Amino acid sequence: MEIRSAAAQGLASCHLCGKVSPVALGNCPRCHGALHLRKPRSLERTWCFLLASIALYFPANLMPIMTVGGIGGPESDTIMSGVISFWRKGDLLVAAIIFAASILIPILKMLALIWLCLAAAGKTHASPKNLARLYHLTELVGRWSMVDVFVVAILVALVQVGALSTVVPGPAILSFAAVVVLTMFAAMSFDPRLLWDRHTGADLSDTHE
Amino acid sequence: MKRHLPALSWPRLDDAPIQVACPFCDALQEAPRLPEGDAAHCCRCGEMLYQNRPRSLARATAFSSAALIFMVLVHLFPSITVTAGSVRRELTILEAAAAMYREGNPLVAVGAVFFTVIAPLVLVGGLLYVAAPLRFGIALPGAKSVTRWFQLCEPWSMLEVFLLGILVALLKLGSVGEIHLGVGLWALAGLVFCTAAAMAGIDRLELWDRLEIALHKKP
Repeated sequence: MEIRSAAAQGLASCHLCGKVSPVALGNCPRCHGALHLRKPRSLERTWCFLLASIALYFPANLMPIMTVGGIGGPESDTIMSGVISFWRKGDLLVAAIIFAASILIPILKMLALIWLCLAAAGKTHASPKNLARLYHLTELVGRWSMVDVFVVAILVALVQVGALSTVVPGPAILSFAAVVVLTMFAAMSFDPRLLWDRHTGADLSDTHE
Repeated sequence: MKRHLPALSWPRLDDAPIQVACPFCDALQEAPRLPEGDAAHCCRCGEMLYQNRPRSLARATAFSSAALIFMVLVHLFPSITVTAGSVRRELTILEAAAAMYREGNPLVAVGAVFFTVIAPLVLVGGLLYVAAPLRFGIALPGAKSVTRWFQLCEPWSMLEVFLLGILVALLKLGSVGEIHLGVGLWALAGLVFCTAAAMAGIDRLELWDRLEIALHKKP
């Protein structure tokens, strides 16, 4: 049996409710969501969010994420210096969690999305099955990067104990939160069906319908 | 109220066979009715298309109402209390966001409130608002837009990440003072579990198929 794609027959499945209807209807007859053969301008949008997040990744890592004031005077920590100081203190678990969530996952996610965009544009060739798996993974792990933002917020709330020490959030926290949100938007605007289109020889990356 | 009959597929508006397109490879294929506990996979890429979760509406209703109760507890009781001498600090989600606001990061504070308070509330409350009446075949006013909104909120609900944040912060705090784990922390763990169970309780396609029937019958 020959397998045909829905788009080849002018059918689109609704992003929200999954019902398959003719794209000519414009809106899903069931949930009234807009119908598109593919996510509109998927690659352009993904590149935009991706570039913005890469740009913000530098201040997020170079500026201090929090300043701890103690007896020895205030001490600023970037994400990486925080990881290193935990490693030195012997807190390997904390160091590993923060390193994975704040440094490894964002970098790997950006690289994965760049690779997916290139593959969807036909610049590289890899099996669409593996690429789909990669896309799944980027969608799944991206949110966990937010953990560092929450940790700083929790520490700020708990360690305002005046006399003992203080924790003040650094300027990097905003850029880091923005990096996480922007990479999530990038992953959401990427349409994995473009990978299969490339595989089957169709090019729908410019479909605006 | 009808008794639960196991091993039945969920009802559809039309008896005619319907088609689904795979969200990953767009292969158009027939969507068979599934007995409870089964899942349908794409014939080309193997991606899971949909599944018939056992006792879906009952589970979604039960877990989302439990999650709402936990949510109240999470906001009422602190999850960590730090005592150092005469100074006492209590941590709740809103307190963490308020601290960020006070320290000059209003945008991060607003984001944190959205990710840990608003999105989870829309997600769990929305699911309950839609799933509970659907058990009796009823769709409350606005059920369609509520479903759309809670589906949009799903990726932004980050309570489990906040829970991990609390655990990391606990390890980081070390010897600041005396640390007590409170009711809020266990309630948060319960909330994370119940939210996940409620969302996994019902398939998106099943929810919309049932909603379609309920809306069709009303006018």
